[in-house]
Amino acid sequence: MNDAVTLAFPAQTQNVALARRVTAVMAARADLPLDRLEDARLAVDEAVSQVIADAPPGAEVVCVFEVQDHALDIVVTAPSSSGSVPPKGTFSWTVLTALANTVTAAVDGGVVVLHLHVSRAISVDV
Amino acid sequence: MTAGQSAPRSGPFTAERRQREHDLFRELSGRSADDPRRSAVRDELVTMHLPLVRHLAHRYHHRGESVDDLVQVGTIGLIKAVDRFDTSRDVAFSSYAAPTILGEIKQHFRDRTWALRVPRRLQELGARVSASTGELTRALHRAPTVRELAAALDVSEEDVLDAIEAGHAYATDSIDAVADADRSAMASRTGFEDPAFERIDDRESLRPLLEQLPELGRRIIELRFLHNMSQTRIAEELGISQMQVSRLLARSLAELRAGMTAG
Repeated sequence: MNDAVTLAFPAQTQNVALARRVTAVMAARADLPLDRLEDARLAVDEAVSQVIADAPPGAEVVCVFEVQDHALDIVVTAPSSSGSVPPKGTFSWTVLTALANTVTAAVDGGVVVLHLHVSRAISVDV
Repeated sequence: MTAGQSAPRSGPFTAERRQREHDLFRELSGRSADDPRRSAVRDELVTMHLPLVRHLAHRYHHRGESVDDLVQVGTIGLIKAVDRFDTSRDVAFSSYAAPTILGEIKQHFRDRTWALRVPRRLQELGARVSASTGELTRALHRAPTVRELAAALDVSEEDVLDAIEAGHAYATDSIDAVADADRSAMASRTGFEDPAFERIDDRESLRPLLEQLPELGRRIIELRFLHNMSQTRIAEELGISQMQVSRLLARSLAELRAGMTAG
């Protein structure tokens, strides 16, 4: 059985709030502690803002949320004008990788796919 | 627009008073910005028209903001109007100033729209969630889950989520209070000289934006993203609540993102 929840919306900044809200609900279902729930929200905020900034007019953003064992998996997909993955080494990428335990980015046929995995604890807590 | 006609009848609006106003504006326009007499003239004009601000602020009082706050915001509009008023135009100052004052008050409401939509019940629950998060974090040695908070507070998980969401929207005041309290304590810090920061490719466009952030916001960005410290640890370290850390992170990131897009 697939419990994944899919949220689709026009690539407009006003819709980032929707993605944040659903993230909080799904993070609660994944039993993430509050600080990690907030991290997941921020990560989705950042990822969705990124893909919206690079999306052509009229594009649609799709977020798929999947609850795992004490973790939340989020896949953000949207058409990309630049046709390239978000550059690593930027502050934005630093933010994403600090918030999520793993982040992967790929572009396939002009569509960018960001995959975030947020679990109970952050990888390194110095 | 009949804003000018709705000016308060605060004392007899005599010809004498009108003459005084006229003289003051003439004096104001003739003086340079660093003239000490100029600020005295400006102050008198502002004081003279404060009843207008109070009158307009009272109109919006029922919307849940304190009159004092609205008067404060409206006064900013009044000062702008005093500075911009053109005496050569055949229009009464109060008619000119009222829209500017209302503009500031309305802007304040636009900024705070969310705050006003948050029901008191949720605001109170938000405070309980925040307190309970602190207690449970100390007991569990980690942040509680929504499920644990709901059980501790005897409310539904959905209520807890609503309270958290509302907290992001309405708590700007307490963030400012926290930021002010800590700004002095951290004023000696001069910003990002972290080795982790040197690895960021777009750090040069980021640096001026970081410098514009309140000190506390910048410090939290540094601890969370460069030192990979958890929000809970940061909260302990800085002596604020984890919810405050979350809000400051969200707000700081939004500001940085807006700046990066604009640049």
